[in-house]
Amino acid sequence: MSAQTPYEPKIVAFLCKWCSSAGSDLAGVSRIQYPANATPITVACSGGVSPQFVLSAFHKGADGVLVSGCHIGDCHYMEGNFHARRKLYLVKELLEFTGVEPDRFRMSWVSAAEGAKFAQVVRDFVEDLRPLGPQDKLKAERP
Amino acid sequence: MIDLGALHTQVRDILETGEVRAVVGWRRGSRGMLAEPVTIATPEEAETLVWDPTCFHNLSLTLVEERKKPSWRPGKPIAVVAKGCDARSLTVLMQENCFRRDEVYVIGVSCAGSGVLDERKLAQRLPGVEPDSAAFDGDAFVCATAGGEDRIPARELMADRCLECRDAHPKLNNVVFGEAQPRAFDPPFAALARFEQEQVGVAERWQFWQRQFERCIRCFACRSVCPMCYCEECVVDSINMAVGADTTAAEKANRIRWIERSASRADNIGYHMTRALHLAGRCIDCAECERVCPVNIPLRLLNNKLEREARVAFGYEPGASIDLPALVASFRDDDPNHFIR
Amino acid sequence: MSSGKRTGVFVCHCGNNIAATVDVVKVAQEMAGEEGVVCTKDYVYMCSDPGQKAVIEAIKENRLDSVVVTCCSPNLHEKTFRDNAKAAGLNSFTCEIANIREQCSWVHKDRGVATAKAIKISRSAVRRVGRNQALEPIAVGVTRRVLVIGGGIAGIQASLDLANAGLDVVLVEKQATLGGHMIQLSETFPTLDCSQCILSPKMVEVSRHPKITLMTYSEVQEVSGYVGNFKARILRKPTFVDPETCKLCDDCSQVCPVVVPNEYELGLTARRAIYIPFAQAMPASYTLDESACLGLNPIVCGKCKDVCEAGAINYDMRPRSEIVEVGAVVVATGFDLYGQDNLGEYGHGKYEDVLDGLQFERLCSASGPTKGKVLRPSDHSEPKDVVFIQCAGSRDPAQHCAWCSKICCMYTAKHASLYKHHVPDGRAWVFYIDIRSGGKGYEEFVQRTMENDEAIYLRGRVSRLYRENGKIRVLGTDTLSGQNVEIDADMVVLALAMQPSTGTAEAAKVLKIGRDKDGFLAEAHPKLKPVESVTAGIFLAGTAQGPKDIPETVAQASAAAAKVIGLLSQPQLSHAPTVARVRKAHCTGCEMCVDACPYDAIHLANGKAVVNDVLCEGCGACSATCLRAAIEVINATPLQMNEMIEAVLNF
Repeated sequence: MSAQTPYEPKIVAFLCKWCSSAGSDLAGVSRIQYPANATPITVACSGGVSPQFVLSAFHKGADGVLVSGCHIGDCHYMEGNFHARRKLYLVKELLEFTGVEPDRFRMSWVSAAEGAKFAQVVRDFVEDLRPLGPQDKLKAERP
Repeated sequence: MIDLGALHTQVRDILETGEVRAVVGWRRGSRGMLAEPVTIATPEEAETLVWDPTCFHNLSLTLVEERKKPSWRPGKPIAVVAKGCDARSLTVLMQENCFRRDEVYVIGVSCAGSGVLDERKLAQRLPGVEPDSAAFDGDAFVCATAGGEDRIPARELMADRCLECRDAHPKLNNVVFGEAQPRAFDPPFAALARFEQEQVGVAERWQFWQRQFERCIRCFACRSVCPMCYCEECVVDSINMAVGADTTAAEKANRIRWIERSASRADNIGYHMTRALHLAGRCIDCAECERVCPVNIPLRLLNNKLEREARVAFGYEPGASIDLPALVASFRDDDPNHFIR
Repeated sequence: MSSGKRTGVFVCHCGNNIAATVDVVKVAQEMAGEEGVVCTKDYVYMCSDPGQKAVIEAIKENRLDSVVVTCCSPNLHEKTFRDNAKAAGLNSFTCEIANIREQCSWVHKDRGVATAKAIKISRSAVRRVGRNQALEPIAVGVTRRVLVIGGGIAGIQASLDLANAGLDVVLVEKQATLGGHMIQLSETFPTLDCSQCILSPKMVEVSRHPKITLMTYSEVQEVSGYVGNFKARILRKPTFVDPETCKLCDDCSQVCPVVVPNEYELGLTARRAIYIPFAQAMPASYTLDESACLGLNPIVCGKCKDVCEAGAINYDMRPRSEIVEVGAVVVATGFDLYGQDNLGEYGHGKYEDVLDGLQFERLCSASGPTKGKVLRPSDHSEPKDVVFIQCAGSRDPAQHCAWCSKICCMYTAKHASLYKHHVPDGRAWVFYIDIRSGGKGYEEFVQRTMENDEAIYLRGRVSRLYRENGKIRVLGTDTLSGQNVEIDADMVVLALAMQPSTGTAEAAKVLKIGRDKDGFLAEAHPKLKPVESVTAGIFLAGTAQGPKDIPETVAQASAAAAKVIGLLSQPQLSHAPTVARVRKAHCTGCEMCVDACPYDAIHLANGKAVVNDVLCEGCGACSATCLRAAIEVINATPLQMNEMIEAVLNF
């Protein structure tokens, strides 16, 4: 990124296939506009998002990481989001404890019917990340 | 207090009768006052076992290492002398099927009225002096030096983890020596709470941890000394690799390099964060990692942080039961949800 | 490192849907520079016939081994393009979709920004497909037998439909007889046909059907396996009476010295320890209730055995387990009335003359304890003022159940109407919140109850009731007139909420199928899969899934049967091959994956995790939990995730 370009937070968004990715599809079908900062990676289930993926995204230079799944009780795999919630709570706590801005990691429950909510989640995240500037605490100094 | 003679008798008996094939315990080390782990297999050696404030080592590690040896075979149990914390660590290992309950004969030693000392605290308290021995004496440690005996209040010398001991009495045991009394001077997580009071904001925390992690030389001593780090291959170590009959060439070629082995800050953080997360619900606060760290990184804080979160948020206590599912393999309907949009 | 891959990337314009915002040519150019990509194309409508043909040609011409189509959501055309890749000779799993329409061109306006994002999305798909394995669906054999749990109207209907389609059925019922709650009803709304008259013939049909094995007084204790191949362990409780030999003479019951409340009559009458629930019970046989019996022992009592001339009574019967293998399960475990104890304010369980709807049904029934006369339980007098309270427990999220129990408006109208038929000079008062009478002939029925039968409908709630001078004083409000109402009632009937039965909770646990927030069984999709559970091969019928009336229950039961028939008519089932795979060298046998798996698809063998491919749904919970990277989902491996993260971040 050249010095002139204003800072745009880079977000990796892990979206579960059944709810949040479908919700983001609905945002598309409804033509709801939101910032392009979040690049989606669709996974089967939020419960399949290993804490390693989150740490790795920061390590590879993400300014923010979003994990979004089905609402509690709606998981296609019944329990996946419960697992995600517990594991990623620990990740969130650890990040904060070591001095990484808590706003850099975010979780949301977005159903397939919540296109507008998905757009809002991304908008809010981008707005919260802007004042923090580039994430360089966990970022590896490599190409 | 523990009747060492009774312990010796017990050890001799179970070796003589053949109830166990070996006993893992501590003996006098080759230098200074420090005890060292030892595995004995004959009744005659029973007398060599010691119990004093330098029995820091979590002997479940020795057991894990025994298990990794090609000579390990299922059969008669191995006995291991275990403090309260060591017994919790054995419990976690059994929870993870590392050992079956009947493979290990646990000789519990209660730390009621004792606890181990912290070498760093001792070095500060008696600068330049290397005591020949250390012993418990009520609320004090007695250190024998060339110049005589030094009686130092336990609080000043005791390892932080013992000051905050969660359970001095080994719950998991076949036989136990010593009383089932609490020993803690401080509530659990006292050092963590102090840290959190001192380093309040995100910026202060980062300042602190940045300094810590920059120092790490990635010697992996913390990993080596940890009984829970028994994996064949460490996911965040790009060098070691577990290879089996079913390992494909593609697998070997495509080993994921989550982080690099070199000691850069980001990679160090990646390593320590992964380690902390992998120990969540498993670390029982034996604090060996912190003890062996050559650059004094306060690793206990990281592990304690997640242990406390597990306790507060999920009601989970590591090392409480063999039958418990792992912290991260289970959930409750009312796990915290407030942080999710 | 040269990957040796030969990937083709096909960028769709989707007319202007993508191309107006995303510079598709630039996306194609960028992808051409990616490692392993040997061919790129952009086209106006990739999903059109010429578009698909162009992909096939490119696959052949360039000897591609994998394909990325950057277009719309995979929900729309993943199947299209995978089938297309297959038509060109590729394995369908070597085709991946990059969604640059719904997740990009439609939600962003700035061309530069949208193009940059489209490139990241496409690149991550290229990286993913680069490590995809060719897979074939897993074929699974099927057992053409069905387990139906619950012998109420839902279970009866499903069993008959299944059996008539030629499938073997095992129908398991907890109670000693078929019939469920429906057999307790006197008449059914809105036609007032007699419940026993329409249900009994079906019960007989079930018991005589050569394809149906009826197991009453039995419980499903454990179910393992997967779609097409379940194994169920069924506990057959001893009845101590041989149904084949029993002559139904009733001699045993006459001599039995033990008296306990009669469940079928909801405690309005009593029965003996040895009893038949009701005359038309099916199987037609007596049951000796072990918990009530003095001792199953000639020394203690033994009267029934002595008196039984047929010799049908055998004290030595013991519970036994039976294993049945089935290909599918229909759960029809029904409802319970919302516990009486929960509604203290209405005096239920405290005042004898405060009844619930089912008790009132028994009072109205010709075969009931009063032979069809409506009489007060307390003094057997004919009640002249009867207050019916709707929504007793329903629609009250603060105190009781949040949901509408759906059938109470109708059955209360029926009760009021039946009461007026029995006691023409009596007064029927109905407290209601709303009248919900959607259904064929339902609204007309309610209107008839109000107009012809002159039931007095009061819109409002009852605040309190208490006993006074042998009457029950009911204090309520008529919100339409704004008046407080006080009624000295002879009897009060509560339309208690419907809640999932305890059997439903047990079945959910045994079958490991989900329940909704209210405890009813969760359907796989609220609109499109209303009779499927989230577990393949397990289907739902009747009120176990949610409150519903008899016609709806029958419809759902038949629908569940139709789904099962469709499923089991296939010679083999196919299962997605994107399942978890264990890297044995890494596995330490810690069992965390076993605990994390929502499908019980993993077990340990020789100290290593083993995945049952047919049970595994590929969710990845195991992989995210494993500390040793020893288990991963094929085609969604951590290695692939790692590279996708890199691709997204230009790392």
